[in-house]
Amino acid sequence: MTVAAQILPGTLDLLILKAVSLGPLHGYGVLLRIEQISHGALLIEQGALYPALFRLVRQGLLKASWGTSENNRRAKFYELTASGRKRLREEADSWGRLVSAMTAALGAHPEEA
Amino acid sequence: MKLMAWLRSFASPLFRRSPIEGEMEEELRAHIQHRADDLERSGLPRKEAERQARIEFGGYQKFKEECREALGTRLSQTFVQDVRYGLRMLRKSPGFTSVAVLTLALGIGANTAIFSVVYGVLLRSLPYKDPARLVVLQETTPMVGTVSVSYPNFLDWRAQSHTFSQLSVVQDVAFNLAGVSQPESISGHAVSPNFLSMMGVRPFLGRDFDSSEEKPGTPPVVLLSYRLWQSHLGGDRNAIGRTITLDDRSFTIVGVLPPDYRSVEKLDVMLPIGVWLTNNSAAHERGSRGDLLVIGRMSPDAGWQQARAEIEGIAARLAQEYPLSNNQFGVSLKPLRDAFVGDMRPAILVLFGAVMFVLLIASANVANLFLVRSAARTREIAVRIALGASRGRVIRQILTESFVLACLGGILGIGLAVGGIEGISRLISMDMLSGATVDMNGAVLLFAAVVVVLSAFIFGLAPAMQLTKGDPQAELKDGGKTVSAGASQSRLRDALAIAEISLALILLAGAGLMIKSLYRLLSVDPGFQTEQVLTMRMDLRTAQYAKDIQVLNFWQQALERVRTLPGVEDVAVGTVVPLTDDHSRTDITIENMTLPEPGNFPHPDVHMVSPGYVNTLGITLLRGRTFTDADNENAPLAGMINGMLAKRYFGNEDPIGKRFMMGHPGKDNKWITIVGMVGDTKLYGLANPARLEIYLPLRQFPQSEMELLTKSANDPATLTSAIRNVIASIDKNQPITDIATMKQLVRDSVSIRQITLILLGLFSGLALLLAAIGIYGVLSYAVALRTHEIGIRLALGAQRADVLRMVVGQGIRLALVGVALGLAVALALTRLMNTLLFGVGANDPLTFVSVAIVLTIVALTACYIPARRAMRVDPIIALRYE
Repeated sequence: MTVAAQILPGTLDLLILKAVSLGPLHGYGVLLRIEQISHGALLIEQGALYPALFRLVRQGLLKASWGTSENNRRAKFYELTASGRKRLREEADSWGRLVSAMTAALGAHPEEA
Repeated sequence: MKLMAWLRSFASPLFRRSPIEGEMEEELRAHIQHRADDLERSGLPRKEAERQARIEFGGYQKFKEECREALGTRLSQTFVQDVRYGLRMLRKSPGFTSVAVLTLALGIGANTAIFSVVYGVLLRSLPYKDPARLVVLQETTPMVGTVSVSYPNFLDWRAQSHTFSQLSVVQDVAFNLAGVSQPESISGHAVSPNFLSMMGVRPFLGRDFDSSEEKPGTPPVVLLSYRLWQSHLGGDRNAIGRTITLDDRSFTIVGVLPPDYRSVEKLDVMLPIGVWLTNNSAAHERGSRGDLLVIGRMSPDAGWQQARAEIEGIAARLAQEYPLSNNQFGVSLKPLRDAFVGDMRPAILVLFGAVMFVLLIASANVANLFLVRSAARTREIAVRIALGASRGRVIRQILTESFVLACLGGILGIGLAVGGIEGISRLISMDMLSGATVDMNGAVLLFAAVVVVLSAFIFGLAPAMQLTKGDPQAELKDGGKTVSAGASQSRLRDALAIAEISLALILLAGAGLMIKSLYRLLSVDPGFQTEQVLTMRMDLRTAQYAKDIQVLNFWQQALERVRTLPGVEDVAVGTVVPLTDDHSRTDITIENMTLPEPGNFPHPDVHMVSPGYVNTLGITLLRGRTFTDADNENAPLAGMINGMLAKRYFGNEDPIGKRFMMGHPGKDNKWITIVGMVGDTKLYGLANPARLEIYLPLRQFPQSEMELLTKSANDPATLTSAIRNVIASIDKNQPITDIATMKQLVRDSVSIRQITLILLGLFSGLALLLAAIGIYGVLSYAVALRTHEIGIRLALGAQRADVLRMVVGQGIRLALVGVALGLAVALALTRLMNTLLFGVGANDPLTFVSVAIVLTIVALTACYIPARRAMRVDPIIALRYE
């Protein structure tokens, strides 16, 4: 039983980049992939995905092309651009640093103070 | 071509969906379908699966909006959408649309038309190099104000000034141009040779003047105006080097001025000052002041204050050094622009302010219409906000709608302005414009566009804020039937109506003051007869008039022959025609007076006149006699003085028989005996005080330049051609200029005030109408909202008179608050038009009370229809409706 967590503001972009880095996806696919890789722990409001996708395309981090989905429907597929890949690396690093810093801080024992 | 393509690309989204929009739609739909596929696989029926998928997706419209934003197409895209929506809404209510558009068109049109005058006269840059640094310099004396510059003083200014990089004289000249179909008089300027280069003007053809042409004795050369070159030389390029005969002298044409050369008065020729000095050696005397002014260019590092201080210092030194000619003479400096604008500036600014008010009233009116109409839309707006539209988004949409409305009003307004400009340029005479063109042009169009945007904000923003303020939930629960947002909305509507009334009152007060001024001005006694007198000017300049006797013979013959024309009652010649700002003044010395400082001698206007002058112009003879034919070259010198001079210098003594002489005491004192005393005349315009005047007989003081004044039994203008024939029979080459009836001259002298009055009257009438519509609108809406309440009151036994009192009471309250506010503001603002007023204070109580009453009556009238409607409410119907 997993408790779905609201994702932190600003992390949606990072999640999308990560999801797409594993292979080109259409919008609904991005949603499923995030659900899958977060083991269903992160809940995304479905519609909110699209403004984020559009924004990333506009920033040149993703590129989109029309194709046919596994359900045989016409859909728009997204994949990472070179700068998207670079951004993902940077963001993942700084996220890692933040997490370890936060973990260290929250796990501090009285004698360390 | 490019422009059309651009317009098309801009306008096309107005009429069809953009491909991006379609793709977005398809993508979002694909998402929902994919989700539905999954749900269907988990066992839901397809229909149910799709429904579920849509719910899970969330606010579809909201996300679509966010996507547009993310795409960055948001602003233009939503704008286009809003414009489309706005057009649709406007089409749906043609009544509202046409009233609003028409109201705005009147406001915008009036503004645009007046702005074309503001631009043409006050703003358009003068066609010279860096015109802001060009300055007009004149001498001043405490006795008369600004006067001409003496040429030797100019030479000293130029030698000593450092703040002016260049200075040039501009001397008015006039010539008789003979040998053409009808003899004509042409005018122009004699200037220092550096004049054109200082102004940054190059001749269109030929050469500029050479510095050697400043000295007297230089060969006569002339530059022609483009117009004269076209009309008299057929635009022949070979005309350069040919000669033209002016006043019997032959001038070599050395060039042609550019077609757009601008001067304050009509200019046909320009010659170097040296040529003029050759024939006017008197100009070398420091005390001689003719028709000369100086234009200078301030050097780039000199400021206005610095230049003024320096020139004033030079003038003060000259006054010390040459007391006889310069005692008490100072210098006035004004921007060249002022010379072109003349006295039009205050009138233009007052009118510009007035049209702004009209626009504000129009905007308030449209804002009110907007509020009333959109009250019906509160529910629609509440629904939109509930569905996720942000408040800013809705405000923007309403603003776009008002923008669309303002644009329609603007287009129609510009159409009206084109007509208005036509009308205004017919009202304003060419002389008043001094070469300025008043037309529709890029700058005026730009102004109109700014006005459109501004007015859209003025009348759109308040309603937009108001409408989106409400709580959507309450709005939706109420079913949009109540007047819940009513209280603050009706407060806003009331405020708008009050503002309209106040603004209208301000305009009416201005118009009222102008009416009174003009009335007072026209009832001023000018001191002479203005009915049935024809004036025309002649200047005998050619060689055949070199001797005084020849000049006198010409005038004698002219007077005799004109007198015999049928319909002529009286005829005379005199040097100055009243009200035209023509003048000739000189110092005089009165016998036995204690000699004052050189600058404080009596300095009257001088008239050389034929015997019939006083009678022809109907000037009152107060004492003694007028001139007769006996006052001729063999008789003792005689003169007349006006009442003012008599009072100032003779007090209660009888001036008849006393003597004075022209100028200051010198070697050959020629005493003139006073034989008559006449009434003062308003030589310098009805609004200006009379001055000291003396009259001398023509036979004793012959003059070659005179005004012929003919008094006729009927319309004097009909005599024109008969008099022309008489003059031609004496000298067929003698031109006649400045033909006008005395009545026309009186009208011209008040024309700025008259035009201001006409336009101000028009605008305040418009304001009154708009304000009345405003009050009417507010009250009828209030009555409509309260139909139910009125029904209940009537059912409970209220009298119809009570209902009437209620509605009219509301109207009166609005009107009185508006009037009170308007009075307060008007009292402060009318001061600004002080220079346009005459004989009436800027806070004239009678005017203010009258306009307040007029406005209140109009407001009452506007209450009438809504009040009657309220009285006729049938309680049964009103209640059943609920």
